[in-house]
Amino acid sequence: MGLDTGIIAAMAQAPVSLTTATASAPSLAPSPAGDPPTTSSVALPRRGLERLDLMLLCLESLDLNGGEAMLWLSNNLGLSDRFPNRVELWKRRCHNPMRRACRRGGLAAIDSEGLMRILCAMADRLYPMVRTLLSAAEPPELNAQRWNLFEARLAELLRERMNPRRSAVQKLLDPVAGAEERRQMIQSLALVAGDGGYERLRASLLDAAA
Amino acid sequence: MLFPSPMQKTLVYDQQSCQLRVEGLPDLSAGQNGDDHGILTRWTLRWAGRPELEGERDHLEALIAVVLPYARHIVSGVRRSFGDGSAAVRIVPGEAGVHTLHLLSRQSGSPSLDLNLDDAELADLVRVLDRLRFDPRVHLSLTVPPERPLRARELIQRVPLQRRLAAPVGGVAALALAASLAVLLPPPQPGRSPANVKPVAPAASPAAPARSRP
Repeated sequence: MGLDTGIIAAMAQAPVSLTTATASAPSLAPSPAGDPPTTSSVALPRRGLERLDLMLLCLESLDLNGGEAMLWLSNNLGLSDRFPNRVELWKRRCHNPMRRACRRGGLAAIDSEGLMRILCAMADRLYPMVRTLLSAAEPPELNAQRWNLFEARLAELLRERMNPRRSAVQKLLDPVAGAEERRQMIQSLALVAGDGGYERLRASLLDAAA
Repeated sequence: MLFPSPMQKTLVYDQQSCQLRVEGLPDLSAGQNGDDHGILTRWTLRWAGRPELEGERDHLEALIAVVLPYARHIVSGVRRSFGDGSAAVRIVPGEAGVHTLHLLSRQSGSPSLDLNLDDAELADLVRVLDRLRFDPRVHLSLTVPPERPLRARELIQRVPLQRRLAAPVGGVAALALAASLAVLLPPPQPGRSPANVKPVAPAASPAAPARSRP
């Protein structure tokens, strides 16, 4: 598909060499996020589940092999017993009420923590792309083209997986009304990537119920 | 001329737009080895195309104390400033995608410095600070505000004021309209109250058979 190859090509051309010799490679299991999930944690509220799944969807829009990458990351993070295959991962994500095929009931705390760890690790891995989208130093035309490619891919995934009758989905699909929310999600991905991102993400998903 | 101590080590954390260098010594009294940083002597933060920042431990803690909570709030969609006017470091949200870092120099005669960061530069700064915090070689026990869910009154700031006021203003307007309409209605007359109206006997229909009195 032209769109799919285009987004990869456009992103790959970006000057994204972030780390130098002194910086270590993105760690898949940073110390605060590498600990095994604790069952004593609080389960995510409905809004938190929605946001978590949407942020994962944004990452899939940036990485065409996002589904496989999530599975690979879950194995690297020691979460293969919770998410042994794509079906199990999909079943956990289907607790998002915005999904077409939504599962009833809440998501177990251990599963939501696993998804959050996968999200942080994947955001860390895709940080160069995310940063490029946010940078004001990039040429405006090129950046606009990157945003268009990302938004087209996100819209495709939203139409495929989310319930189009939900007003939140309609807003996200709206080119104008949803632009701020899409940028907010990309900015959040940039800030939750890395070593301290997990705690920020977790706290923000828990406050969504307030 | 001062020479650096042979035990002094420098840790470097790089991102595309900034580089954090932390110089320090191991705290031998705490049993740390040569690679550990138990005592911070100096740090510098280099920005591409901007003045270099430097300071001591207090300044680094002040930077962490405003930047990390600011980033935490942005993840929740709340854009608010951190640090008061007299603080060494203050960060204020600006126009869309701009974050202004006010740095107050403690040296007399040195003017304060304002740095405008875009979203990507803010993310870079947060990443270098995070990497410093979670570096296993660093034993500085920096004071970092805990990450916690925001309360409802903090979250309400992400809703624009017009939208927040729309419901109460609409309610008050509807109440006023209903009250004015109620005033326009004629008051019920006392003699026409349902309790005083006598029931009217139904008119006899021609088809109805006449009832003879006993």
